[in-house]
Amino acid sequence: MTHLIQIRKQDFILHASGAIFWKNQSMLLIADVHLGKVTHFRKHGAAIPLIAAYENLEKLTEVVNYFQPKTVCFLGDLFHSVLNSEWEDFTKWVEYIKSNVILISGNHDIIPQYLFEDIDVKVLEELKINNFYFTHHPTEHDTLFNFCGHIHPGVKMRGIGRQVMRLACFFKTKNQMIFPAFGNFTGKYILEPTKEDEVFVLVDDEVIAVS
Amino acid sequence: MKQTELIKIASNWFQEKNWKPFPFQKKTWKAFLDGKHGLLNAPTGSGKTYALWVPIVLQYIKDNPNYKEKHTKGIKAIWITPLRALSVEIQQSAQRFADELGTGLTVGIRTGDTPQSVRAKQKRSMPDLLITTPESLMLLLASKGYEKMFKTLTAVVVDEWHELLGSKRGVQMELALSRLKTVSPQLRIWGISATIGNLEQAQDVLLGMNQSIKEHSVLIKANLNKKIVVKSIIPKKMETFPWRGHIGLHVLDQVIPIIKASKTTLIFTNTRSQCEIWFQKILEKYPEFAGEIAMHHGSINKETRLWVEQAIRNESLKAVVATSSLDLGVDFAPVETIIQIGGPKGIAKFLQRAGRSNHRPGEASVIHFLPTHAMELIEASALKRAVKEDVMEDRIPYLMSYDVLIQYLVTLAVSDGFIPSEIFPEIKNTFCFQGITDEEWLWCLNFITMGSQSLQAYDEYKRVIIDENGIYKVESRQTAMMHRLSIGTIVSDAMVQVKYVSGGFIGTIEEFFIGKMKPGDVFVFAGRTLELVRVRNMIAQVRRSTKRTRNIVSFMGGRMALSSQMSEILRRELQSEADHKRNTPELKALSGIFDRQELESIVPGENEFLIETFKTREGYHTVFYPFEGRFVHMAMSGLLAYRISLLLPITFSLAYNDYGFELLSDQPLDVQEVLDNNLFSTDYLFDDLQKSLNSTELARRKFRDIAVISGMVFTGYPSKQIKTKHLQSNSQLLFDVFRDYENNNLLYIQAFRETFEHEMEEGRLRTALERIATQNIIWKQCDKATPFSFPIITDRLREKLSSEKLKDRIKKMTLLLTK
Repeated sequence: MTHLIQIRKQDFILHASGAIFWKNQSMLLIADVHLGKVTHFRKHGAAIPLIAAYENLEKLTEVVNYFQPKTVCFLGDLFHSVLNSEWEDFTKWVEYIKSNVILISGNHDIIPQYLFEDIDVKVLEELKINNFYFTHHPTEHDTLFNFCGHIHPGVKMRGIGRQVMRLACFFKTKNQMIFPAFGNFTGKYILEPTKEDEVFVLVDDEVIAVS
Repeated sequence: MKQTELIKIASNWFQEKNWKPFPFQKKTWKAFLDGKHGLLNAPTGSGKTYALWVPIVLQYIKDNPNYKEKHTKGIKAIWITPLRALSVEIQQSAQRFADELGTGLTVGIRTGDTPQSVRAKQKRSMPDLLITTPESLMLLLASKGYEKMFKTLTAVVVDEWHELLGSKRGVQMELALSRLKTVSPQLRIWGISATIGNLEQAQDVLLGMNQSIKEHSVLIKANLNKKIVVKSIIPKKMETFPWRGHIGLHVLDQVIPIIKASKTTLIFTNTRSQCEIWFQKILEKYPEFAGEIAMHHGSINKETRLWVEQAIRNESLKAVVATSSLDLGVDFAPVETIIQIGGPKGIAKFLQRAGRSNHRPGEASVIHFLPTHAMELIEASALKRAVKEDVMEDRIPYLMSYDVLIQYLVTLAVSDGFIPSEIFPEIKNTFCFQGITDEEWLWCLNFITMGSQSLQAYDEYKRVIIDENGIYKVESRQTAMMHRLSIGTIVSDAMVQVKYVSGGFIGTIEEFFIGKMKPGDVFVFAGRTLELVRVRNMIAQVRRSTKRTRNIVSFMGGRMALSSQMSEILRRELQSEADHKRNTPELKALSGIFDRQELESIVPGENEFLIETFKTREGYHTVFYPFEGRFVHMAMSGLLAYRISLLLPITFSLAYNDYGFELLSDQPLDVQEVLDNNLFSTDYLFDDLQKSLNSTELARRKFRDIAVISGMVFTGYPSKQIKTKHLQSNSQLLFDVFRDYENNNLLYIQAFRETFEHEMEEGRLRTALERIATQNIIWKQCDKATPFSFPIITDRLREKLSSEKLKDRIKKMTLLLTK
């Protein structure tokens, strides 16, 4: 279910849902949930089963219950588009969990900031804590280690007998960790790692280091 | 005016031209004037346009005796062509007849190529004859006031109906006709079809289930017997002839003398990529042809295409390399020589292409067939046999295509709206939806109004609304616009326009190809070497380049399968080989390969079913040879892989071609165990097949089209920049969502049913399995790949099936790193 790694002497637990728990700070990091996407599509006439929308919040609840974090930090693209009925469900969810919630704004986050603040969700452009730098878009920094989303990374695996598989993953380079998309109705973008990169794929409720 | 007088008018016109109407033309005129519906079976270039346009004009003369003085407004007829390219041709001949009779009738074209200004003008005042495509007709049904516009219609002629029949465009046509039957009371429905195996059925599908129409219809056959001679181009050196591949360049040098010896030559290729490559290579090796050869395929801009078509007519070009874009219609005078590169896979298509050559009365049409790999020579031999025995394939019509129905219902909702109780009987009277139940109909209505089968709290689904009068309509302008842009049933990849930086449109190519390139990269398209400057808003800006490159534009696109008729003939042909007859030049030329095959394995005879196993760097190969055609092999490989995967955890990669199929795995397969477990059994066939389908990618791929056609995935439109980014998803994600949350969705189920009916041909599979049960199974453990296996094992288009845990598979795999 989880996989422990160390970055700059801090403990981070990679979770099969696509979240990372920063143990020392009791902070749960999640990227690209794209809430409201299903409803957004339905509003425009694409009949995607509504039940798919509920799944995301359920998955969020599960991972929060598992780690019981002090803070939940979303690394952008929490909501896919403008306000719709999924916002109500999210509000209830924020009320229900006991953690503080922070949102680092992503390119899809066009819901006005004050609405988040009304429900006690802090909205930031970026966040720096100790040696770490949290953004939505991948952002290189001279000294800090960057946690980010946006890309929806995946990798291609190959085996004997012409087997090929594409899997969502955590993608770690020397000074950066790119999160997989947490949302269930999101695609992935295939990256080609170099030898120095570390890749952790998400497979059937497990996180497996493959590099 | 009496019918005989009317016909006299037409006959006189023919006489002035020193022509004589064919009996089938006269027959069609009479039937039409008698008010009949029907199907005309006539090949391209036979005068079929005049067979149906003439009586439409005569009917007008009959209804308007003072036609020379006063023109009666309103559309009289719609002429449907499957290809835009054909419309100009038809317009010219139709206009000529109308003008020379002094009728004042106008002929207009309305396709995707028609400028907006012309379209707007047409809507204000329709031409008397409108030449259009099924998609453009649907778009007219999506515009307000269409009922009034079509009231005066006396005829719809669906040209090349055989081309539309076996596709969802055919369903689209059925639905459009179902509406026109009601709104145009004087309507006569006619189709024109080349020869296919199921002509009677083709007529039924076109006319629908209305008893009155059926009883009042005719099938007219032109019966123009044409002799066709097939000549294979057999490589001079068989040793260097490849065992696989589909480009065929190795015999380029043998093609050149054929081109040189004739005034005009059409070279037919199977894909656009192949067309580009051939054009390029001919010029590279024989620069003297510069300016004398051209290329014609669907992605090249319209002006160039029209220019090429005109040049073929003027005989000002020596040769044209083409794809099926020149297949249909384009009624130019016959060219001298036809060359077919690569197996045409179907007899009908092959004959149609052959028919393009030299039809002087009494003389035979000649077609040169150029196999691209050794095994295709057997196909050449089989084709000859098929031509001799006059074998024809069927075109299988689609049934219960909910995706097309949903699109159609929204189309009606976009225009004037519809009342279900009025539309349902029309739908039930189409061939496609004759079996639709009340529940299924309700499902479709719920789908477009609620996006689900029951109303859910807080749901914001919006597409079609029901107003207070019970009329189903679309209110949102954005929904309406998006729908109009998505009308159609041909689903292609996102297309990118290719333009010079200075302006100047060259053509369109698929996004996947451009996506692989960076600015500065060089590629060849439409016969030009181009450098990519930048990609902006779905437009690739390029400039000419003098660099040399091997990077020729490629297109995705389905592969065709050998028809059942062809595969049977192929099997018989091979049979004669197993008996060592080698009685055709093609089989003789293959001697070397057959000898090699016999050395490594065997050439299976009539009572033998061959299985080969061997190991290569790639893994363990097991190759089976039923010789039943690609579709049956696809189903059989999935079935067998599934049944084996129940015995042990194993992962397979499946490949198939027209001769056989392969199960490739990272562990050896014990064929004896397969045989002992009776895995070729027909017991539980349907069940197992369904399950195997669940674990492969086939239904998933089918679903892609269904998702787009039904409007669940919006693909946008290349030349129109609409902000739809937030609405883009892919059908893969959607498929997973349905599988996980709503697997009783009719559209999801349709993906599986279509795979059964159109890809797998369950009936044929059963027969094949029964045949195998009576054969001696011969298992050859080979040291290396055999000639027969080579084209299969090197195929890169594959399915997979696994019963291993994902985790266990990952552990055996390696990460793909950047190069």
